Amino acid sequence: MNDRRIDDLVSEAKSLRYSRRQVMRRATALGLSVPVVSAALTASAYAAPGEVRKFAKAPAQLEGTKINVLGASYFVPAGQERFDAQLKEWGDQNGVEVSVDYVAWPDLQAKIGASIQAQSGPDIVQLWDPWPYLYQENLVDVNDIAGPLGEAAGGFYDWVVKTASVDGSWHSIPYGTSSSAYVYRPSYFQQVGAETFPDTWEELFTVGKALKEMGKPLGQALGHSLGDPPSFTYAYMWAYGAMEVEEDGTTVAFNKPEFVDGMGTFIQGWKDAFDETGLAWDDSANNTAYLSDQLSATLNGSSIYLKAMGPEADGGVPEIAADTNHADFPQGPAGRFTNIGAQSWGITTYSDNIDGAKSFLEYWYSTDQLTSWYEANGGYYIPAAPNYTSLAVYTEDPKLAPYLNLVNYGRNKGYAGPSDDSAALSYSKYIVIDTFAKAVQDGDAQGAIEWGADQLERIYGD
Amino acid sequence: MEGVSALSCPESSETTWTLDIGYWADLKGSRMALAQTTKATEQGDLQIARGRRSLLQRDGVLAWLFMIPGWTVLVLFMGYPFFLGIWLSLTDKMLGFSQYDYIGLQNYRDLWADSIFQQTLRNTAYYGVGTVPFKLLFGLGLALLLNRQFRFSRFFRAGLLLPWIVPTALSSLAWLMLFSSVLSPISLVLRQWGLIDQNINFLGDAWNARISLCIANIWRGVPFFAISILAGLQAVPTELVEAAALDGASRWDRFRAVIFPVIKPIVLITTLFSIIWTISDFQLVYVLTKGGPANETHVLGTYAYQIGMNATQIGQAAAISLYMFPALALGAILLLRSVRGGDTQ
Repeated sequence: MNDRRIDDLVSEAKSLRYSRRQVMRRATALGLSVPVVSAALTASAYAAPGEVRKFAKAPAQLEGTKINVLGASYFVPAGQERFDAQLKEWGDQNGVEVSVDYVAWPDLQAKIGASIQAQSGPDIVQLWDPWPYLYQENLVDVNDIAGPLGEAAGGFYDWVVKTASVDGSWHSIPYGTSSSAYVYRPSYFQQVGAETFPDTWEELFTVGKALKEMGKPLGQALGHSLGDPPSFTYAYMWAYGAMEVEEDGTTVAFNKPEFVDGMGTFIQGWKDAFDETGLAWDDSANNTAYLSDQLSATLNGSSIYLKAMGPEADGGVPEIAADTNHADFPQGPAGRFTNIGAQSWGITTYSDNIDGAKSFLEYWYSTDQLTSWYEANGGYYIPAAPNYTSLAVYTEDPKLAPYLNLVNYGRNKGYAGPSDDSAALSYSKYIVIDTFAKAVQDGDAQGAIEWGADQLERIYGD
Repeated sequence: MEGVSALSCPESSETTWTLDIGYWADLKGSRMALAQTTKATEQGDLQIARGRRSLLQRDGVLAWLFMIPGWTVLVLFMGYPFFLGIWLSLTDKMLGFSQYDYIGLQNYRDLWADSIFQQTLRNTAYYGVGTVPFKLLFGLGLALLLNRQFRFSRFFRAGLLLPWIVPTALSSLAWLMLFSSVLSPISLVLRQWGLIDQNINFLGDAWNARISLCIANIWRGVPFFAISILAGLQAVPTELVEAAALDGASRWDRFRAVIFPVIKPIVLITTLFSIIWTISDFQLVYVLTKGGPANETHVLGTYAYQIGMNATQIGQAAAISLYMFPALALGAILLLRSVRGGDTQ
């Protein structure tokens, strides 16, 4: 009797393409033993853990509704096209009118903020760390989706839980992050006698000096932008023993003698080795400069390399692609660090189509869809959970390996404190970045760090 | 024609396109009849409405009625946001959080002690001082030039307006390309000529960035001065200028003693408008530098935006915006007084 009901449930699950969670819910409703059903499912090769999760068609009541998505413009156009196609495909399948708006990175948060203030706008928003913390009251609780998704993919990484959840509770669903590594031209480095990429910041500045003299400086954005400037400045601050705040979240630990020394080294390094116009760069300027052969190295996502490898009609530069490699962040006296924080999709509480938004996200995060999106992005986004790191897109090209390494030495913004509203405030006010920008402009390491410490005190000190 | 034919007469579909004298005469007759009927109806209405009318004729009542729509718009779209802004500036409201408290003038005190805000005030002053006098000078010069009759003068007068009518967001993007650290055509040309060996650091150095912003702002603002002053110059009676010339007044004397007194109110109003607009500028600075490098180009508008929309501290952002208020209010009062003064003259 019990066996037949289990068989029936398994075949029902197969024909209706239930998710594993739906099967279990149904098993409980039918009064069946969950472990037995689970074993039967595994035996019938239906849904082993981490296996491809099939998407079940959304309920019919979604038909005729609308969904609007807000995200940041992609640096890898194929990824954006893939997302558009997925949204459209889901919309067509379910009779939902879908639309998506992309804005430049620095404008994304303002757009989300304005929508929340007006309680009207997109149903689904792309969130960077630590924004879920800031907008938690206005984001729908998605623990029911995010929890099982993480488990099925091998458990979200610790850095993901720290930077995308709000104290362990999910108000948005993480997918990973755009990551950063040194993109460099091995041939230029060889010309100045460096066979491998320098392992410490000081060595990099020394090699960089020779490179700049050769007309190919290092490139680093230090302007008011959200991607590349924090990538470098947070990493360098940690490498020289300073941090925004201690573990208690209130004691500022920025003005450290070793950091002042490190900043002195950087001030000289900036003059000697870097393109000094970097003070005005945004996140795309170094891509342009590198691809127009003005730089020997810059910190960036894999978008530069991916674009260089692309068709020439779309801006591909085969000779630069061939002469490009990637390296881990250099280390300082305190170690090797970088900033890492998860990006996620959240649903706004004011949305009048929360069910539709959830349904789309369940579809988009299903294993096959998410896999195809990671693949379309060519490895630009590193995944939020380990099961995806075995995808060919992350293993095929050894040149891209440093991007996955990031998870081994990344820290959240606001470290050693939590990734909370204070960390978000410091990030939005560009305090760490501006400390570096001030230092290279005024040539006064101590003064700049005191300024930064004072600003951080105003943020964390309360 | 279609409209006329539809109104004209039942046979319009057959007669519209032929000139039928009899038809037009009929039409004229029926219009007169209609006018007489209307007049009679109006007289009847007048008698009925006499009581109401006396109320409407009472001092001020009608005037107030006419003002209601204007007041409604003002209260809804200017008064409400303004008083909401004042209220928010007295709270610790964070965007997205429903809980917030009244904190009195704490935001204003915090800002006063904030080195970024102090820098922002200085930058706003630099921005005003570095642009308005130049806009006035170049605008006046251009207006005097264009006031002369020469070939294509109308074409140039129209062309002058271009920087003013192009949306600032667009023209700012063009300036962003010109000032690009990586691909600026200016750097490119100078490099090719061998005059420089590194790209010019237009926006990556504090003073370069401020000067670049001022140049773009002057470019955008000169047409407003030029066109306004040009309109004033057109009102200068030529007889007076000629008479002065005959009396032996030099070019400068004619300008100082005859032309300038006539255009003075316009110059004054234009300058005040420009000061207000410059102090509250946002778009140009946001597109070109976002306040960087290291806050060296933040003006009140961009800093308020950064604090309010990105750092989500709406209360403090409101306080930043309201720091502008005394200066702008003073400007507005001066402006109104000068306009009234012009009227009585």
